[in-house]
This record gives sequence, C-alpha cells and structure tokens, in this order.
Amino acid sequence: MSATLEFVRASRWYGQVIALNDVTTTIGPGVTGLLGPNGAGKSTFLKLASGQLAPSQGEVKMLGRAAWGSPELFHRVGVCPEADAFWEQLTGLEFVTGLLRLTGYDEAERRQRAENALHEVALLDAKDRKIGGYSKGMRQRVKMAQALAHDPEVLLLDEPVSGMDPVNRRRMVDLVRRLGRAGRTVVVSSHILHEVEAMTRRVLLIHNGRILAEGDVREIRDLMDEHPHTVALRARDPRALARVVVAMPHVISLTFGAEGEWVTVQTARPDELYGNLAEAAESAGVSEMYSPDENLESVFRYLVAG
Amino acid sequence: MPIYEQTYRRHEARGPLRRVRFWPITREALRLILARRAFLILLMMSWLPFVIRVIQIYVITRFPEVNRILPVDGRLFGDFLGWQALIAMFITIFAGAGLVAGDLRTGAILVYLSRPLTRCDYVLGKLAVLLLLNLFITLVPGLVLYLLALGLAPDQFGKWSVAWIGPAVVVDSLVISAVISVIALAISSLSRSARVAGIGFFGLLMGLEITRKTLYAIYGRPETALVSPLGALYSVGVALFDLADRALTLPWLYTAAVLALLSAACLLILRSRVRAVEIVQ
Repeated sequence: MSATLEFVRASRWYGQVIALNDVTTTIGPGVTGLLGPNGAGKSTFLKLASGQLAPSQGEVKMLGRAAWGSPELFHRVGVCPEADAFWEQLTGLEFVTGLLRLTGYDEAERRQRAENALHEVALLDAKDRKIGGYSKGMRQRVKMAQALAHDPEVLLLDEPVSGMDPVNRRRMVDLVRRLGRAGRTVVVSSHILHEVEAMTRRVLLIHNGRILAEGDVREIRDLMDEHPHTVALRARDPRALARVVVAMPHVISLTFGAEGEWVTVQTARPDELYGNLAEAAESAGVSEMYSPDENLESVFRYLVAG
Repeated sequence: MPIYEQTYRRHEARGPLRRVRFWPITREALRLILARRAFLILLMMSWLPFVIRVIQIYVITRFPEVNRILPVDGRLFGDFLGWQALIAMFITIFAGAGLVAGDLRTGAILVYLSRPLTRCDYVLGKLAVLLLLNLFITLVPGLVLYLLALGLAPDQFGKWSVAWIGPAVVVDSLVISAVISVIALAISSLSRSARVAGIGFFGLLMGLEITRKTLYAIYGRPETALVSPLGALYSVGVALFDLADRALTLPWLYTAAVLALLSAACLLILRSRVRAVEIVQ
C-alpha cells in the first residue's frame, strides 16, 4: 500500500471551535468517499489536504510532503471546490485556460488541455458560452474540468455532484469511478450517502470533526457489533420462518412486511443468524435475502446516532 | 487496513515552481477591469490635470511674464502629483475594492490557492494590478510632463540645478502608488463585499484626512500629518519638491517611518486574510 494522503493526529481549530479533531488516516489510489453531515469537518479536511489551511496541530502530508507550504504539489493535485460563483463573465474555455496559465503551460498546450478536459466532462459544446449562463450542473462540470486539465495524480472533489440533474450526476459518477480505476487518488466529499456509495465502497465517515469510521462499507458494519443488524427475508411461508427465527437467542425483534411476504429481523449476531437460517430457509421457502445495513445510509445513521 | 488498487500511469505534471508566477493573476484582473467602459472613462479623465499642466507649461514658455504668477519649477510637479494622489485614490476604489473581497465572497481564492502559487504570489498578482494602474496615473504623466517641460523650456529645466525633478517624480509616484495600493488591497481583504471595501477605503482615507485637518486647525503642528495616510503622502511630496506648506513640512524620516509601518500593517492583514475561506458556525 502506498498512501497518497496522510493525516497524523491532525487537528484544526478556529478560536474555540474545533473543525477537525485529532484525525489520523491514510488515503491511497482509488476513490475514497468523505462522508458527513454539513459542518462535520469535510471541507476542513479537504482544505488541509490541499494545503490551503495549516493544521493547528499534527501533520498532513500529500504525496510524501507537508501539504501546507508546498505549492509545487499543485502540479500534481487538482481541486474542485464547492463554490461556483466565480468568473461568471468568462467562457468555460477561458476559465480553464486561464487557470492553466497559472500552472505554466504555453498557449497551444493550454488550449489543447482545456479542450480535452472540457470534452472529458462533456462540456466541449458549451465551451464558448459564459459561465454566468451555465446551469448548476454545467458549473460543476467546468470546475471539474479545471481540476482535471493539468492531469493531476490526486483529485480532491468537494461535493462534486451537488445540484446536478440525474443524467449529469450519472455522468459525473462514471467519470469519478473511471479516474479512480485509472490509478488516481480521488477524494470525494458529500453529505448525500447514496452519491458516494455509487462512486466507491471505501468511505471515511466524519462527524463533529472526528473520523467515526473508515474502510469498506461492510467493514464498517462489522465494527458496529453493538448495533442491531437488520436482515430482510422474503419467504413463501413467512409465519413458519418467523417461528424458527424468533426462537433464536440473538434475535432482538421481528416484523412482517406490508405485502405479507417479507420478514425483517434485527439481530445482534448476523453471522449466527445466517448460519441458523439454512434449515428454516428450506422449510419456509426463503427466496430472497438482503441486509439493508449495507446501505451507507444505515451505516451512517447508526454511527452518528451511536 | 484496505489494500489500494494501483495502476501505473505516467503523470505529466511539472515539478518545480516557475519564477514569475503572479503575472497571470495580474493580467487576468487587468483584462476584466479594463473591459469596463466606465472605468476606462475614469482612467482617461485621470489625465485631465496632465493636460491642464501641459497647457500651463506651454503658456508660460510663450508668455514669460505669466511665470511670475504661475512659476514653472519643481513645485509644479509636486502640486501635480498631489492631485494625482487624490485621483489615484478614486481609481483604486473602483479597481481595487473587489480584488480580494470578490475572491473571498465567491470562493475563487480556493481555486487560486489550489494552483502552484504561494499566497505571496496571489497578493503580488493583485497588488501589481493596482500598482500598474496607479503608476499609469502618477509616474507616466509625471515623467511625460517632465520631458515635455524639458522640451518646451530647456533653459529652465535643462539645468543641473533642477535635475533632481526627474528622480523626485519617480520616487513620489512610486510611494503614492505603493501606499495607496497596499492599503486598498488590505481593506479589500477585510470584507467579502467590494462595496463595503470601497466605502471602507474611502471612509478611512477621507476620515483620517479630515481628522488631520481638524487637528492641525487646533494644534497648528505639522506632525498632525502623520495621522492621515494622504497627509503623510502629501508630506512626502512637500519634502521632495520643496513645496511651501507649513501644515505638511516634516522631517522625511518621520513620514517614511509612518508609511513603512502602515504598509507593513497592511501586509500583515493580507497575510492573515489571504487563505482558504472557512465558515465557522
């Protein structure tokens, strides 16, 4: 494993307010979702990662160097901020080429790179229109284009699909996944769980400036043994199934679904439940089984509530 | 711990920082400012005093008797730059109020700071915008006027005894432009609204100038010039061009110290304000 981004006991506070508290984590190539409600510390995390804020305590390293005070890193890092109200009088192409000028490319290369990036985000047709006339989704995409245009190894994306329509959202999700598969390190922040879930299974949950959990969604679920796990079962004879399940000592509750075929079981030991179900599943005719807990929404709810 | 998927790919991103990094920021900001017609008109109007002074020099060289009423010497340039300082203040309000405030309001500062630039480059880039505009209305007309005076009245301005006028024009213009620019930029960084920053800048300079005049009226001491940036700038002109103004005649070291301290304070403000925006609830 080679970590691209490393936080070592990093904290950031503003006066009495702690925005990020004693965070230690590493992020490597691929897509990592940064999840948390508004005000959780996601933006502070990204600003520390992108060297735009200095940690009040601890260390933040990007590509092996201190993120703060290393502007040369930005040849290799692309940042897509949440705000999008800037340079409304510029066209999409002028916006991207203007920022490439700051990176130091010559005129021809700037144009080429800008057009490639705009093509990547499906905005080439609108490149000569003013950003002021762009829709919310187009603004998000033009911001993405400026982050991509210099071909960075690391991408830090703050709420990149916020305000997008479903088609563009799908397009952006696909792009992020593609970038991750290509070996780039992509950190995507969002407070909308299913958006992140569509991009990656690797998540980092932040709440009140602390990392609540990190890893694969299923790994996170496994960490939450103290929380009841929910398993939904669809059976031909739900009452027969309920009789068997309710006798299991680890089962906490059982409810019948509205359509009469589904039984939802809450258990403290999901592994035992799965093991014990084999016999009952056959007699009661269990045809479908899934765990709603694997949905990020549930995981997040559990962790924040806990 | 998770195992990261890694695929080799060659990155073309460059390594070291370039030498001159602030210029694209200046260039882009100038382009946007000069695209405003109202500003261009204002900029052209800032040269009106120059035209008047050219006429003055022309008339005096043609009719030498007028020279007794309106002498053409170093004082003409000092007066001229004094007026230009006032005009520079207005130009700076229009051009500079939103330079940092706008970026803080829209979050554009995050985009700038996520490029291979230092915060110093950002400040330099924005400062250069105001410096260039202010030099355009102080140094450029000042030097052109001096050259015109040399051409029209070589017997008066071609002497070694008045050879100091040229360098004095350069020094006064640089001091006026630098001080006004750095104050405007610092005030712009204190607000997210260009309007508030503009009013703040105007209010501060004019408020302190009124205070200076009031204090001078009460105490009659030239040191009162040090409470106002404009007063201190006028006092530099008085010292450089040997103008007769008791209210502003001060040892140049005092004025230089106050202006240096003021500029340093403005740079400190910029240092603390130019950074990623964070909203703490």
